[in-house]
Amino acid sequence: MATPVIMPRQGQSVESCVIAQWVKKVGDKVAVGDELFTYETDKAIFDEAAKVEGELLAIFFAEGDDVPCLTNVCVIGKPGEDISAFNPAGAAATTAGSAVAAPAAQSASAQSPTQSAHAAADPAPVSVSDLVISPRARALAGKQNVDLRAVSPTGPKGRVIERDIVQLINDGRFATGAAGTDYRPGIAGTGIGGRVSVADQANQGSSPPPPAVASFYEEKHSTIRKLIAKAMVQSLASMAQLTYNASFDATDILQFRAKLKKARESGLADMIDLPENITINDIILYTVSRVVKNHKMCNAHYHDDRMVIFNNVNLGLAVDTPRGLMVPTIFNADQLSIGEISTQAKELSAACQKGTISPDQLKDGTITVTNLGALGIESFTPVINLPQTAILGVNCLRTDVRNVNGLAVPYPSMSLSLTCDHRAIDGAPAARFLRGLTNALESFSLLLLK
Amino acid sequence: MTKHLHIDPQEMRQPGYIEFTKIPVNQYKRTIADEKAFFSKDDFLRIYRDMRFIREFESMLYTIKTTNAYNGIAYNNPGPAHLSMGQEASSVGQAYLLTSEDFIFGSHRSHGEILAKGLSAIDKLSEAELIAVMEGFLGGAAYKAVLEFHKGKNKSVKGLAIDFLIYGALAEIFAKDTGFHRGLGGSMHAFFLPFGIYPNNAIVGGSADISVGAALYKKINRKKGIVVCNIGDGSMACGPVWEGLMMATMDQYKTLWEGDMQGGLPLLVNIVNNQYAMGGQTRGETMGYDFAARIGAGVNAEQMHAERVDGYNPLAVIEAMGRKLEILKAKRGPVLMDTLTYRYGGHSPSDADSYRTPEEKNAWLAQDSILAYRAQLIAAGVASNDDFAAIDSSIVETVTNAVQMAADPIISPRMDLFKTPAAIEELMFSNRKIARMDERAPDVLMAKEANPRVLAIAKKERFTSDAAGKPVPKNKVYQFRDGVFEALIDKFYEDPTLIAYGEENRDWGGAFAVYRGLTEALPYHRLFNSPIAEGAIVGSAVGYAMCGGRVVVELMYCDFLGRAGDEVFNQLPKWQAMSAGILKMPVVVRVSVGSKYGAQHSQDWTSLCTQIPGLKVVFPVTPYDAKGLMTTALNGTDPVIFFESQRLYDVAEQFHAGGVPVGSYEIAIGEPDVKRAGKDITILTIGATLYRALEAATLLEERHGISAEVIDARSMVPFDFEKVIASVKKTGKILLASDACDRGSYLNDLARNINDLCFDYLDAAAVVLGSRNWITPAFELEEHFFPQADWFIDIIHERILPIPGYTPTRSFNDTEMLRRAKLGV
Repeated sequence: MATPVIMPRQGQSVESCVIAQWVKKVGDKVAVGDELFTYETDKAIFDEAAKVEGELLAIFFAEGDDVPCLTNVCVIGKPGEDISAFNPAGAAATTAGSAVAAPAAQSASAQSPTQSAHAAADPAPVSVSDLVISPRARALAGKQNVDLRAVSPTGPKGRVIERDIVQLINDGRFATGAAGTDYRPGIAGTGIGGRVSVADQANQGSSPPPPAVASFYEEKHSTIRKLIAKAMVQSLASMAQLTYNASFDATDILQFRAKLKKARESGLADMIDLPENITINDIILYTVSRVVKNHKMCNAHYHDDRMVIFNNVNLGLAVDTPRGLMVPTIFNADQLSIGEISTQAKELSAACQKGTISPDQLKDGTITVTNLGALGIESFTPVINLPQTAILGVNCLRTDVRNVNGLAVPYPSMSLSLTCDHRAIDGAPAARFLRGLTNALESFSLLLLK
Repeated sequence: MTKHLHIDPQEMRQPGYIEFTKIPVNQYKRTIADEKAFFSKDDFLRIYRDMRFIREFESMLYTIKTTNAYNGIAYNNPGPAHLSMGQEASSVGQAYLLTSEDFIFGSHRSHGEILAKGLSAIDKLSEAELIAVMEGFLGGAAYKAVLEFHKGKNKSVKGLAIDFLIYGALAEIFAKDTGFHRGLGGSMHAFFLPFGIYPNNAIVGGSADISVGAALYKKINRKKGIVVCNIGDGSMACGPVWEGLMMATMDQYKTLWEGDMQGGLPLLVNIVNNQYAMGGQTRGETMGYDFAARIGAGVNAEQMHAERVDGYNPLAVIEAMGRKLEILKAKRGPVLMDTLTYRYGGHSPSDADSYRTPEEKNAWLAQDSILAYRAQLIAAGVASNDDFAAIDSSIVETVTNAVQMAADPIISPRMDLFKTPAAIEELMFSNRKIARMDERAPDVLMAKEANPRVLAIAKKERFTSDAAGKPVPKNKVYQFRDGVFEALIDKFYEDPTLIAYGEENRDWGGAFAVYRGLTEALPYHRLFNSPIAEGAIVGSAVGYAMCGGRVVVELMYCDFLGRAGDEVFNQLPKWQAMSAGILKMPVVVRVSVGSKYGAQHSQDWTSLCTQIPGLKVVFPVTPYDAKGLMTTALNGTDPVIFFESQRLYDVAEQFHAGGVPVGSYEIAIGEPDVKRAGKDITILTIGATLYRALEAATLLEERHGISAEVIDARSMVPFDFEKVIASVKKTGKILLASDACDRGSYLNDLARNINDLCFDYLDAAAVVLGSRNWITPAFELEEHFFPQADWFIDIIHERILPIPGYTPTRSFNDTEMLRRAKLGV
């Protein structure tokens, strides 16, 4: 007899999962333990392995489909078996022998119309928005900032009633009203969404206090957020990253900007066709595009078996957008003047902000610059864009002092945070690159000669 | 049921015959010449005038109904108009000798009787009396309108009084605020107490038992005058009419009532025999009596002094009325008149006369009472054509003026329910507290303190347990029935008008011994046995109260409520508001809710009464509450349906600390009472179910650690939700329970309100637990029908608060609810 494979419920709060990838296709032979498909929740990706052997007879959902938990996803069995009864849509699915399956689907759905309806209606209301809560329980939960995700309904017909909320309060599953940041001591939830699982209850006492959950709302991940998350985790998990910090005297670049400003005010800029505005970031982009050519391992891609070292510089530019981090590329930046770099950086940023950026402009970077200086960051550890080998973080302008003939003399200072993949670049070469950058920036007017 | 009357088998078994005497039919034989000895020219002409007034008034209404205008005055009258053209002689003949102290009751077709009685009263009252009546009636609104309209016309007081009468009646028919009852009675319920005109009744035969109560009031309270019950021949098959006749002719008035109370009721039952019901012809088709007067022969030995009178001749009717009044004054009543008449119009203007021929109508028109009378007077040289023409034109002018006034929205506005939205609401109950309806000393047979029941109760413990907490034995403890008794006997010694009657009320002391001891205390005319006639028992109480008395009647079983359906649902609750607050209705109807006696003797029909606007409904279940609520009901002026449970007549007071007070005290109607405090769930009960709820509360506490608060509704209408809301806010959960069948139970109404009022505080929707929608089975099976203590726990578990580890024995889940509903069980 054919066996349906359901979409597992990965934790109480999960209503549905997205099919990420089909590993097997209809008609494939399947052994116990074979990976059938991967699926995603908002937090993770899981593999679903076959629990029976046979042939994959039908697949009811495509990659990217959002499938309610406990719904049949595919069927394994012997070729020619009737699988239509398992189809949650009640209609013909992608089957191994569709000529046989189509009429069978009709008769089966006529015979047991309740089965598919049941499968769709059955999931218990465990997501907060789907909980059935009595008005009294709801009022109490609101008043006490109770974490409803952890509730176990005990009322008639699965309704959350007052005593369930009282139970949560007794368990410490609520935030203090004023702070809204900290649970009172109680059972620590380690389940999905911080929920108290059966295991947590069994381990009561030994667990650390549960994480702070105050008043909150949930937001499904956007695709970009998923991509960022994936990229970041992969980056940090797969590389040997470390960050080097160094500061430089920003007097020269500030004087350069002041001169430019003066030239604009006097009309000189227009006469000799100077660019509108050159930001500190533009200056740094320009500097990187020139200096990195002398530190080729930092303008490279690292692969397990080789390095790809670039002759040109495709400069990645980290842009903060409402949708999340995006990194457009200034191609062949080493060939561009500072004015051209400035213009491109501006245009690419705007396109990212608007969401009109072309995917083609989001790839093939060879090194990336990320700037948190405007937000007052003095030092951080940028995360490398795989498979690049380096990323330069730009920090804020500060006023430092130095000893000049026994006097503390102030000067404008700026620091850079360079993260390199130690697999590709050892400490000294990385430090040399950073030194190269700071030296160049301290004598920026000379660098313009390059 | 009396030891005073010996039933002798020797006598009862003697052979013999029942003798009847002849019933006169149209035996009036006088001529105008003969009548000159009794009537002056003015008298003769006044009789003509009064008939002509009625004819013009009814014709005017017919014209307005059918053409929306009268004499050029446009008006649309959407309300009913059951007109009496043709019946004028019977009305005027009846009213001619009556005074304002004589009361008439009518039917849906009684405009003629009202006008005739009013015109007769105006003729007899002095100008000062008339002015006092008109100025004093409902703040003088109608009188002011009449005075304003006729300003500068130099009208006589009697002339103005006639304008007032015609206008007041018409404004009432037109539903105007200046009508006799502010337009709330209307055509079928018009009346005017100061002229002795008591309510007409839209229910066929409705006046029959009410007028018996009015006659009882006259007799028992020694009031002057007689009572006339005008009912149509179409009502002669109605049960309440027969019940009224039986109760009006009880032998006990002659055999058992003592002293000046001995003798028949001052009641004239007048069958206005226009020979048609709505369309059914009574003689020859729907009845078998041939002459309606024959009925008298079947009622009592006096044959009710019945006779058929020619109602087409006003003088014949007056002559007969004169003889009947003599009989009534001699306490030989009641009497029955079958007044022959004919209506020219249909049942109403929409009637197409499909049931009679034009020839028949023309034949009666050819003998028209007004034209014939006028011709007779001219022939006898009493009056000339000019006399009649002058009367005719004056009448048309009076009626035209009345129409002009009544149709005018400024002179005669309607009740403005936008400006005064509570105008009708305030009339639904009089809400007065009047300790005694009359100031005279009550008729009693002994000092209250010497009464054997009072003495016995004095020896009883007034709480369920003694000071040490030891339960008092049943025969030594003050019981529920004692609470009702104490309230009643106190009132009997305070209010001289208070009477009580029903089945087995005297001697037996009521089927449940509530009245034991009252027989010794009260003369027959204050406590008597009625025939088994629930309709007349309640209907006569309505009439008694309408006239100014206070009365307690009893329906032995709640199941008999249907037998008094019209009286409880149409008469008792409606007259206070329909009279614009002029009538009061201090009636307590004791209704005993049975058990153990199966399908027709064990039903809780309390909900039926709550559906009827105008009734107060209470259901006390403890001695303390019974005495307090009965005292309140007896002090009040509103109709109270006072339910008692046969399960509880011997129950002792278990709640009120200190027991039932000896003195008089009131419990406000509408005030529920917390009988057991708790914090987890509220249980609200109506009636005897309280005790099973308390049992359940104990089980919940002891077995499941759930603390239930139990509230006894005590009253159903009105109902103050305050305590219930406070409790639900505390517990968040409520179960409502009573012995009424769950479908249509008043509990559903309470539950709906609680769901609305407490929604944000509720942990579950309010749940109703009633009896099954079955027949009440035998006592041995009752545990499957009435809610039992374990049902409470089952339904709480399934619908409100699942109890860990509990397995219910009965299902109250959704599936079961839907199944029962689908099957209608």
